[in-house]
Amino acid sequence: MASSQHVLLSPAELAYLHASLSLTPPIRPDGRSPTQFRPLVAETGILPGTNGSARICFADGTEAIVGVKAEVERTRTRHDFPSLDLDEGAEDDDDLDDNQRDVVKGDNDWVEMTVEIPGYRDDDAGTVFLSAMLSEALLADGEFTKRLWINRRFHWKLYLDILLISPPLSYPLPLLSLTTHLALLATRLPRLKSEGDEDPLFDDDWAAAPYLYPRPTGKKGSKKAASAPTARPPVTLLVMAVGNNIIFDPSKEELAVADVALAVSVGESSSSSSTTSTSSSKPTAMDLDTEETKGHNLRLLSVRTIDPPSRLTPPGIPNASNSAYGANAGAKDTEKKKQQQEQARTAESEAVEGVWKAPRGGAKPLVMAALVQKVLEKGGVADEVLDALDGVDLN
Amino acid sequence: MADRRRINGPVGTTIPPIYDDASEKKSEVARATRSRPANVIRKMYLKTGVTPSASGSAYLEIESSGNGGSGLKLSCSVHGPRALPRSTPFSPHIILSTHVKFAPFATKQRRGYIRDPIERDLGTHLEAALRGSIIADRWPKSGVDIIISIVEGEQDRETSKAQGIEAWDTMNALSGCITVASAALADAGIDCVDTVAGGVAALVQDAGDDAAPSIVVDPIPSEHDKVLAACCIAYLPTRQEVTNLWFKGDLPASDMDVYTQLVEKGIQASKSANRVLVDCLNETVG
Amino acid sequence: MPITILPPKAFRDQPPRRNLNHDSDDVMSDATSDSEDSDSQPGGVSLDGGVTIHPRKRRSAAAASSTFTKRPKTNVTSSVPRSAIVTPGERITTDPQWMRGHGTYLSSASLGEQAITSSLAGIVTRTNKLLSVRPLRARYTPEVGDLVVGRIVEVQAKRWRVDVGSTQLAALPLSAINLPGGILRKRTETDELQIRTFFAEGDLVVAEVQQLFQDGGAVLHTRSLKYGKLRNGVFMAVSGTGGGGGVVRSRRQVWTLEAANNGGPIDVILGVNGYVWISKHVEPVVPEEAKGQTGITNLEEVVSATMYSSQNDRIEPETMREIARIRGVVTALVENGLRVDEDMVTKGYNEAVELALVSADGPEDVYLGGERGEQLAAALTAV
Repeated sequence: MASSQHVLLSPAELAYLHASLSLTPPIRPDGRSPTQFRPLVAETGILPGTNGSARICFADGTEAIVGVKAEVERTRTRHDFPSLDLDEGAEDDDDLDDNQRDVVKGDNDWVEMTVEIPGYRDDDAGTVFLSAMLSEALLADGEFTKRLWINRRFHWKLYLDILLISPPLSYPLPLLSLTTHLALLATRLPRLKSEGDEDPLFDDDWAAAPYLYPRPTGKKGSKKAASAPTARPPVTLLVMAVGNNIIFDPSKEELAVADVALAVSVGESSSSSSTTSTSSSKPTAMDLDTEETKGHNLRLLSVRTIDPPSRLTPPGIPNASNSAYGANAGAKDTEKKKQQQEQARTAESEAVEGVWKAPRGGAKPLVMAALVQKVLEKGGVADEVLDALDGVDLN
Repeated sequence: MADRRRINGPVGTTIPPIYDDASEKKSEVARATRSRPANVIRKMYLKTGVTPSASGSAYLEIESSGNGGSGLKLSCSVHGPRALPRSTPFSPHIILSTHVKFAPFATKQRRGYIRDPIERDLGTHLEAALRGSIIADRWPKSGVDIIISIVEGEQDRETSKAQGIEAWDTMNALSGCITVASAALADAGIDCVDTVAGGVAALVQDAGDDAAPSIVVDPIPSEHDKVLAACCIAYLPTRQEVTNLWFKGDLPASDMDVYTQLVEKGIQASKSANRVLVDCLNETVG
Repeated sequence: MPITILPPKAFRDQPPRRNLNHDSDDVMSDATSDSEDSDSQPGGVSLDGGVTIHPRKRRSAAAASSTFTKRPKTNVTSSVPRSAIVTPGERITTDPQWMRGHGTYLSSASLGEQAITSSLAGIVTRTNKLLSVRPLRARYTPEVGDLVVGRIVEVQAKRWRVDVGSTQLAALPLSAINLPGGILRKRTETDELQIRTFFAEGDLVVAEVQQLFQDGGAVLHTRSLKYGKLRNGVFMAVSGTGGGGGVVRSRRQVWTLEAANNGGPIDVILGVNGYVWISKHVEPVVPEEAKGQTGITNLEEVVSATMYSSQNDRIEPETMREIARIRGVVTALVENGLRVDEDMVTKGYNEAVELALVSADGPEDVYLGGERGEQLAAALTAV
């Protein structure tokens, strides 16, 4: 499903939507505040046959289900895993082997993500774009695949199947991303009993299975996560700009009048690793660090422009140049015609109030930066979304 | 039952052998380092009108990194504007369809003839970048196909060991695709608000362990120790607008400055590419 | 709080519902009294008649149907058809005095007897001797005289194809619209050539069903000043006539509502097909030159001037806010399985204005999603 799927809205509707969303504060058709998401119902662990699963639905009946399945797979021999030729290399370079023993490596091939949207082919450009975006965010930090490492010869292969149950009533990106997030949080892998590079052997007891993303100590579950960092899977938020307003979780109608739409993926990592702080000339670095301890330690993982469908909307015709508009309809005299044509020409270059005009060109870099900033700022939307996701009962 | 009439290959996949040079076993392979200044893009060759049978076409070549690697070679043809088939519903705009395909031999790993997800993803990015630049309502009820074949992808011979570099290479490929498609569109005489060109900037960590990461434009991933983040920008210079932005990496949210700088550098790279593009178009006319 | 994430509702937390069988007598009497003009029945669900069906989301509908199946089958085959829920294949009557209507079929019972059997899950209704089953939930079935809101999806040489939420696209012939220029005139070739200047793809129209094809397709017309292109407002699609929620056929489908908070007058059009248009009420503007000579034909000319305009008038933010509030009311009604008609929308709107007064953000808060919608619905059903 392309983001630019054909939205059939009349020019008058588009003009109205654009006008109401450009007000300060904007008036959204469903009365939400600019940063407000649609209320949703979420649950996890709905599919006992999976390693982890989640389901989210909106009040309008849009519903997504994600199931995570893991399989043990033999790691393919690669020259960048030099430790793999165990039989021959074991004797001559022992020291090297020891060094390599602790190196946990991941490979992006270990994760397979498919998105299925009813009514769209699975190789549809839009579906591919969605899954590329979701997997890009997941793999961005390179940490995720390391969790799938079992030993030097085996790894988990993770299949993430993302299903939209109902035909999409709006661009499903945030819905799919939140569902995937919850499913990954609920994912557990059997506890490893074997040691070293033996063929892996796992514990039968599902209750003992550790979570893929270890929980902080306070909560029930995993034992090994006593002091583990509270990393978590990324979330991708859809945010758009109309006029001077920044609007989150836009509905299909709202997206149809967007000037620019961005998908911003945000992750959270353990506090220690983030001190690879890039800009050395940061006087407030210390203050920031102390602040960070209470909030989420957000990381920007990916940003993509979503081609807004607004460019493909039918333009409105100003009354001045509308031949079916009452006063002009009967006009016969050429003078009036000429006047009309002139008015029509100005109408092409200038915006007439109340007439919809599909946007041309791109977006100012400053606007795009503001969108990203709005997502990431302290106590901003990403923070609150992650807080709300914390409240979901994981079972 | 196995096919006995042919000589069959071994069952299962194998990995092509990679020969270790014994002399270099312990020492680090001498790796190319970036010789250009951080804000200069590589030289590129752009020519329009290379395919006479297409409505518009262009060819782009970016010089190779210099140590046995291959540069980027792209060929783009534009077919249209032409009438849509009868069955398609009325459209007040031109319908754009983009196809990006790596030639099977373009990269180290042979690619199939069917477009894989990366190629489709590139196509979507390209479409978004171009859609902002063309004046779509000039051509109602018509369609245009933009077909790009990547004849040679950018791959360094020495980088075989490096992992995850392909991901960064796609950004370079996309930026080339945008530039070449823009030239071909202009060649085909399709109305555009501005010439769009692609540019890439990356935040890289160089060899030294403690070296501070720096931002470079038009990065060659193999020249750097590690690419921390990169972004590809499609920019309209006269309108000063971005039609497509693709950022990927891992940046702390408190470091918005780095992100902003990265985007700025991307825009700068795009402007440089745009100068080549405009020169090339002038040349054709003149 | 930008996001509210709710835990899933447990299956059994619905309030116990009354067994429908005990109420069936009520319904019968109700149905008989209304049998003269069954069209005015609000979609087969009579709120006054004691049967309250709230298919609150699909889950509760399932719960409801489980209640119905407890009913012993023998009840159904009695000679008097009962006005309760039947399922496909359920025998309604074998009495030959009844005639077979929509949603039923004839099956041979024992000894050459013909039985009227339901082919739908719905409510048995009778009009004199005609028995029909109204489905609980179905797409819109057009009837002559219905006021509908539709969206143009295709422009053909001499007609438009209009999506009205029905099984078939409706047709709007060029000959069935008021051509601009005021006086009723014959359509010309020029009109045919510039057909897209009247209505183009995506445009919304309000029209009336003029006639029906055999296949259920409708032919529309807009030959009245009340009909035509829609401007200055928002569109929403809810389910049309059929079951529990959605727009029901009622006395007035179009009315003007005086909005609170300086919103001014607002037009609400509830298309029988479930498509709703909420817009700012605009008095026809009489241009300077036409003033003073306002005859009847002239007025018509002036009014029809704006008929094909796609330019919105200036709309005050207050009006937009109230339009959003009305839209929220309609959404809340639908999501909570209540009918949508003039009475409910007006009541709901007043209730929503009250709710906003006590909310934290004051009267400017028009959000009615999630819990607030439920609160609103609860307040409405409590009366």
